[in-house]
Amino acid sequence: MLEAVPAYRLARGVRLRLSDDGGELLVPEGIVSLSESAAAILELVDGRRDQAAIAAMLAERFEAPVAELSRDVAELLAALIERGFVQC
Amino acid sequence: MLSPAQPRSLLCELTYRCNLQCPYCYNPLDLGSSRDELDADAWLRVIDEAAALGVVQFGFSGGEPTLRRDLLVRAIARVTELGGYANLITQGTFLDEAYLAELLAAGLAHVQISIQAPGAELAAIIAGTDVHERKLAALRMIAQSDVALTLNCVLHRLNHDTLPEVLAFAEREGVRRLELANVQFYGWAYKNRGALMPTREQVRSGAALVAQASERLRGRMDITYVLPDYFEELPKPCMHGWGQLALTVTPDGRILPCPAAAAIATLRFPNVRDMSLERAWHVSEAFTAYRGTDWMPDPCRSCDRREIDWGGCRCQAFLLTGNAAATDPACAKSPDHALVEAFRDAAADAAFVPRRPSTLRQAQGDKLRA
Repeated sequence: MLEAVPAYRLARGVRLRLSDDGGELLVPEGIVSLSESAAAILELVDGRRDQAAIAAMLAERFEAPVAELSRDVAELLAALIERGFVQC
Repeated sequence: MLSPAQPRSLLCELTYRCNLQCPYCYNPLDLGSSRDELDADAWLRVIDEAAALGVVQFGFSGGEPTLRRDLLVRAIARVTELGGYANLITQGTFLDEAYLAELLAAGLAHVQISIQAPGAELAAIIAGTDVHERKLAALRMIAQSDVALTLNCVLHRLNHDTLPEVLAFAEREGVRRLELANVQFYGWAYKNRGALMPTREQVRSGAALVAQASERLRGRMDITYVLPDYFEELPKPCMHGWGQLALTVTPDGRILPCPAAAAIATLRFPNVRDMSLERAWHVSEAFTAYRGTDWMPDPCRSCDRREIDWGGCRCQAFLLTGNAAATDPACAKSPDHALVEAFRDAAADAAFVPRRPSTLRQAQGDKLRA
């Protein structure tokens, strides 16, 4: 079945490593440092959730406006898709 | 200088043995004996120590690392258990479905597989053996598996003109990451530099071709093209600085700041058989000698790029000048830069010496004389 909205997933060989102050994306022969908010977004990238679902969950967790979070999510995911670390 | 907080990557060279004989191998000319290889317990201890020190990126290389199957699978499983990331750098000729499945179950994240040329005939001349079809089978098997794949082709005088076909090959095979690295002159490549040095025209047209392909394949293939630093004015920021981020452990247990460093005959390198990685990293002479900027001579010392280039490559400085503390002669500001020009001009269409253990060369020599 075709999905109307794209779900996001980490690309093959990309792994998220969480730490107290954010985390890191481990990629082929490389490490990408993540801020706390970037790590929180990527924690929700599971191959099933779309952008709206991720933003909604963050809004609930951080008690922040969805619109603002939605923008952050879109920005981060676009940048990581460009680098081949996230797919949708 | 104070030692940096932690290394982030460790290259584990599990063996120097290999069934290929590529004349540009960065392994030392003296390939040693497989009897000196660290055993599995020693390697697992190295991995534990590295993780405790802050390493998350683990590379398994050689020689051909898949020759040590039981060790490789256990080592990758340990890396995974510790939350690390396991990269396998292989030529692929020993991989089959069952072996790959074992590696995947252990948590392998990324495989870099090499080809010597886009066609079997030239590949066999370079590798000294005809394994192109086996490599192709391995490449396709990995591409269909759940692991990231990088295709690597080392470029040099003998195959540089096939660059368009390498690009077409990678595109045809659906490769998403392609690494085109001009040969770096260490180990066997240094010995064979005359035969391997690309021409100026090859380098110029290669860079243009790659730029075009990168543009055309944007979003589908990520292409890295490593320029040969003999054709540039600036040295490469080797290892992002000596002893800053990375460690290498050789098959016989030596702990090196860079995979080519064993060539520096003026340094004594610690060994995991009698020193911890932590001690080697923080206090050993080998790691502290060229760390930071205090060791630098001029023109590095007063250069505003000193914390960008880090003086370039120590191994290259040693190989070309005999002094590992010299400015990398690849830099146009180096007083030894003429050495690089002479090095470049020494290029010729010539025969190369295939990479082989000396006992094998000896045996063949004996046979010829008999």
